[in-house]
Amino acid sequence: MSWNRVAVVGAGLIKFGELFEQSYEQMAAGAFAAAVEAVDKGFEPTQVEAAFVATQRGTLWGQEGIGGNTVPSAIGLAGIPCTRIENACPSGSDAFRVGAMAVASGVHDVVLVIGVEKMRDKSSEEGLLARAAAGHPIFTRGETAPVLFAPFATRHMHEFGTTREMLASVAVKNHYNGARDPYAHFQNELTIDDVLASAPVCYPLHLLDCCPQTDGAAATLLVRADLADRFTDHPVYVAGFGVATDHPYLHEKSSFVGLKATQLAAERAYAMAGLGPSDIDCAEVHDCFTITEILDIEDLGFVDKGKGGVASLAGETALTGRIPVNTSGGLLAKGHPIGATGVAQLTECWWQLRGEAGDRQIETHHGNALQHNVGGRGSGVSVINILTTNRS
Amino acid sequence: MTRFVQPALSRANTWRRRWELNPRPGFCRPLPGPLGYAAGAARSAAEEWRLPGPSGPASPEVPAGHPPSIGAVTPAVQLLAVGAAAPAWRLAAAEVGAAWGRSASASQSAVCAPDEDVLTLAAEAASRALIASGLQTDIVDGLWWGTTRPPFAEGPSHAVLARALGLSHRSGGAMCSGSPHAGIEALLGAADAVGAGSARVALVVASDALIPGLGTPFEARSGAGAAALLLVSHGGHASLGPRVTRTHPYLDRYRGDGELATRDLYDGRLFREEIFLPTMRELGEQLGALEIDRWSLPDPDGRLGATIARQLGADSPASAPIYRALGDTGAAAALLGGIGALDTAGTVGVVAFGGGRATGVTFTAREPVRGAATVPDAIARGRAASYAEVLRARRQLVPSGETVQMGVPPESAQFVRGADEMLGLLGARCVDCGTINTPPSIHPHCISCGSAKFVLAPLARHGQVHTFVVNHTVPAPFVAPLPIAVIDLDDGARVMLQVTEHDAPLEIGAEVELVLRRYAHERGVPVYGYKARTIGPEGTT
Repeated sequence: MSWNRVAVVGAGLIKFGELFEQSYEQMAAGAFAAAVEAVDKGFEPTQVEAAFVATQRGTLWGQEGIGGNTVPSAIGLAGIPCTRIENACPSGSDAFRVGAMAVASGVHDVVLVIGVEKMRDKSSEEGLLARAAAGHPIFTRGETAPVLFAPFATRHMHEFGTTREMLASVAVKNHYNGARDPYAHFQNELTIDDVLASAPVCYPLHLLDCCPQTDGAAATLLVRADLADRFTDHPVYVAGFGVATDHPYLHEKSSFVGLKATQLAAERAYAMAGLGPSDIDCAEVHDCFTITEILDIEDLGFVDKGKGGVASLAGETALTGRIPVNTSGGLLAKGHPIGATGVAQLTECWWQLRGEAGDRQIETHHGNALQHNVGGRGSGVSVINILTTNRS
Repeated sequence: MTRFVQPALSRANTWRRRWELNPRPGFCRPLPGPLGYAAGAARSAAEEWRLPGPSGPASPEVPAGHPPSIGAVTPAVQLLAVGAAAPAWRLAAAEVGAAWGRSASASQSAVCAPDEDVLTLAAEAASRALIASGLQTDIVDGLWWGTTRPPFAEGPSHAVLARALGLSHRSGGAMCSGSPHAGIEALLGAADAVGAGSARVALVVASDALIPGLGTPFEARSGAGAAALLLVSHGGHASLGPRVTRTHPYLDRYRGDGELATRDLYDGRLFREEIFLPTMRELGEQLGALEIDRWSLPDPDGRLGATIARQLGADSPASAPIYRALGDTGAAAALLGGIGALDTAGTVGVVAFGGGRATGVTFTAREPVRGAATVPDAIARGRAASYAEVLRARRQLVPSGETVQMGVPPESAQFVRGADEMLGLLGARCVDCGTINTPPSIHPHCISCGSAKFVLAPLARHGQVHTFVVNHTVPAPFVAPLPIAVIDLDDGARVMLQVTEHDAPLEIGAEVELVLRRYAHERGVPVYGYKARTIGPEGTT
């Protein structure tokens, strides 16, 4: 039995990319306008009762103190309650979960969940690369983002015979999808050779195994399920969600071929939604690196443990495959503006379930789509949301 | 020569006689003439400067027929074990010559990789001496450390090394620095403490990693290395014999206040003829009366070492292979040359020079000293580094722009909480399930079972690579490629550490040992912690 107390009636995002010309506030306003515009029967901005904003790294544009009050003013709704949610890479998906709970609790009937992230106001050296010097003075030195996932690739290759070609096939597939998503940062297709020949970033990952640094914003409008028909005749419901944490440092992992946080979050989300992996039509999963998507599709139960690389190379996760994954282009091609990422993934799921995904539209059989993020220094947190068109 | 030799005195009156001869110990009589004495100038025995004699108990190990005293003698001081270390890189003199448009000899020098310095070298040599001794580190009473360049120009250099070596919080000792003479000063300080009975086990380390002025003739010879000696009041296989010291306030090689690099000699001829050779001749003559079997001699310019060796009748001093392998190791040079010669019975004369001082001491080994035979292996390995790499490692070639600041200032609370776990490499073993949690300060509860009951224990220093990466994309001051590995230690603990440079391949299952390295150097402050080093087929260390 699905939970289904909350409906998504509007969702939208701005074109992702290096948005040097836009401020944080302008990106937020653009995403909100897109979500409002997407509501079938019209939506007055003033109907928003409360907002939850996901921004992970205010430090990347010099606004270390960014709080919940920045966004309402930027979208013309100064005065409404607004809370910033920060939960590493799943910040956006967790803000969505919190927004859904705010509606389900009966406190609010209509809430805005918006993710906004400025990644490119600072240079890479001052931005993401600077994390090489962050954290514990010894045990985390040199840990840039790829270091958090590359050890899993090394071990996955060792234990299961996963190859660099298999990793590369994830990037090729996601760039293919991204080239069909007008909102994606990258609009170009790749070949496996392109990926293999790209510059080494962090063995065994090369440049095209890695997602770019992207500015972006995305927004969703959540309402009480029984009020959904005021806004649309094609509502999408929140079927369930799951959140899990794991130890925060890599050396505390007992396994380097799977992410425990994802596995636990998936158990919880499937249980809450009353669904299993085989009930999912498509999934937007966290592919910050190619290896991450391979771990994800195993940990989410779409393929057996160890088979993620083979399945990817065989096309099982392509648009026309058994379980299409990252139809939007994923983080690899669409980009990864951290706080916006989860909300943008949910927007893609919303489009796919409503049949609005254009050239990349998949066939839906069950009416269920899954959205997943995992992150933190040692992939210590995962959030999964499941959307459905079925109101049981 | 005999004029320098004191009559053998009974132990009972040695102490009193010295005070009578020189009622102001430490006072050096002024030398005649503006630049000291002429070569071979006659000196009376009464002019010899001496330290007060030993007050410790007589050692039964002092061999019969011990050489007669010429200067202070500390017969109760025994040498238990020694160790040596050299850094990871070797710089060919030809590389330096090419950069400056000069021809160069076929020589080489040892250079610290960016994560090595005088402290990591000292730690490695001291660890080897401690392992060779078979002693527990917590019974060491003090650390005497000599280096030209303490890693903190002002700061806790001695305390950091003591903690990294696992010495007791109550251990004492001293830091000697300021010139290449510092190494032998540390030895004599430790010997006096043992002789006086204030220390029973004294750890002596001499280490250096010189940073020479760019373009100086000295540049291609400036090396790095470390020697460690464990002195004990009884029970060693060698005894420390007589010493003799000369001082002369001459500015030879020096570093001005706030300067990074050491300036070379102002006038090589002046140094050679007026200072170095006369002083060496004098020390050599005095020590030479003791029937020295092997010598460790200073070689400031690549030629003078051979000159004085010839004059002493020592065709191939024990120090020569060290200079060939490592270059001029500064404060470590004299002792490095000396300890390697203790692998057979006999008397070794060790002469150090620097900072306007020269000191000679002797060691008499009754049988091979523990650890002495490992010295050649300890200094043999090293990979050829380019001149550019060396300049970067010595911070003489610095990238423009901002470097990434460490997120945690080395003066901050995290370093107070983390001192034991970062320098002492402690883990917390769960009392209930046995899982080792690292580092302890961030684990109030066990990662496996949630228990809050732990015992602190030093982590194993050896293990296997579970998985790894090689980071090619790091901001300055990090240097790519930067390998990082998840390691399963022999005690079951899992850690993730950077992998320091080594020629043995990094792969899953590779054997590694943990070694102290410098992680960062910010605002002039070094930060130390452990890194993993792959162990090659030869099984280094």
